[in-house]
Amino acid sequence: MSVQEKFSAIRKGLLEFLILKIIASDKVYVADMLQRLGRTEFATQEGTLYPLLSKMRREGLVDYEWQESDAGPPRKYYELTARGKTQLAELNAYWKDINTTVNQLGR
Amino acid sequence: MQKVITINLNGNAYQIDEQGYAVLVAYLEQAEQKLAGNPDRAEILADLEQAIAEKCQRFLSAQKNVVSDAEVDQIIAEMGPVERPSETTAGQNAPGGDHARTSGAPRRLYLVKEGAMIAGVCNGIAAFIGVDATIIRIVFLILVFLTKGFWALVYGVLMFVIPSANTAEERAAAHGEPFNAQELIDRAKKSYADMGGPTWSGNWRANWRRQQRAWRRQQRAAARASWWPAPPVTPAPHVNYATRIGAGVLIPVFSLVSAAAFLAFAYAGASLVMSREAFGRPLPLEVPLWVGLLVLFVVYHAIAGSLHAARRASYYAVGGYHYGIVAAWDGLLWVGFAIVMAWIAYQTVPEVRDLVNGLPGFWDVLRTTWDR
Repeated sequence: MSVQEKFSAIRKGLLEFLILKIIASDKVYVADMLQRLGRTEFATQEGTLYPLLSKMRREGLVDYEWQESDAGPPRKYYELTARGKTQLAELNAYWKDINTTVNQLGR
Repeated sequence: MQKVITINLNGNAYQIDEQGYAVLVAYLEQAEQKLAGNPDRAEILADLEQAIAEKCQRFLSAQKNVVSDAEVDQIIAEMGPVERPSETTAGQNAPGGDHARTSGAPRRLYLVKEGAMIAGVCNGIAAFIGVDATIIRIVFLILVFLTKGFWALVYGVLMFVIPSANTAEERAAAHGEPFNAQELIDRAKKSYADMGGPTWSGNWRANWRRQQRAWRRQQRAAARASWWPAPPVTPAPHVNYATRIGAGVLIPVFSLVSAAAFLAFAYAGASLVMSREAFGRPLPLEVPLWVGLLVLFVVYHAIAGSLHAARRASYYAVGGYHYGIVAAWDGLLWVGFAIVMAWIAYQTVPEVRDLVNGLPGFWDVLRTTWDR
């Protein structure tokens, strides 16, 4: 089993957290998110991202608004809701704890 | 030469090759299935169509207005298989049931034709329990010897009760594997090739000849169909797993009833000739024997015809592509039932025995009736 495979579940689990982070930094549209994730270990695809975003919207973490684009039809730009912001703060804190634990345990 | 299809993706018109179209349709259908029960299904599908449309745009220019099938493959590969969000997150708030359902693909018992020796029964069982097919085959052979051949009958029954895995999705379910985008593309291409679609080989002339040959073949088949009913070539309608099992069980039952009806009417016909009565009712004196036989024949056909239609419907549900084999098996079953039942009736019902023993006189009776 390669290193990548060993961490595949972790990468999947972190995806929602990372998307919250990306949306928090800027108003983005799906192609932007894919592009920003594409350069990392967390590269993903539309087939995964759209259903995930719709779930996050149902949970009240994100919302979108339509914006005209200079090329083609209007696009959905996502932004965090108040609930999304609290959730992100909690996840960030928890992630820091995990990081500390990983760094402190063993070598 | 490739046919071009104009499609509407979330309000934008695009032209794509026919084969690319098949792949696209298969992708969107799979997405729709995967999102079943999702309250935002329509919206996600519209988003996916929009994303595909934007990717198509990338391949088009003022000089090029058709998206080729290779480009569609690339677009679908970029899109990735549609996944339920509970598969991508740890599912902290997903109810246990939903998570359990998606964490492992459902595994179902199917006949597996790939690498099958006979019908794929052993292969399917092996895939279902996750062992090598050879082990199951050896176990089956031992059972056949131990049961003095009876197990071979069990095999025959299983062959028709277990549905065959006709689609890639069912093949994946037979092994308990998740169904991915690559398999989807393969499946779409295969079903497209099965439909007799031309495959682009770079030489339009060879391709055109191939189409001509296919067309002539179709014409001949159509001409033949007028007196030789061709087996259905359309893919089997999608029948669900339970229905197919039900139909597999029903085939022997229908055969049994049909064989019984045939014997009952054969007996009635013989007794009508021998003693001018059928089912214990005498034929009125003023009615000639041939009218009685004709009425009997018409009644039998009305009953047998509807039974036959029911049997055909069952084979179709079970067999799909293997319709002909199922029908042949049913024919054998029918004859077998008829022989066994006739033998039992001869042994146990005295009237039947008298009638059969009197049969050598049958033709004499018939001839005298005719002469009169």
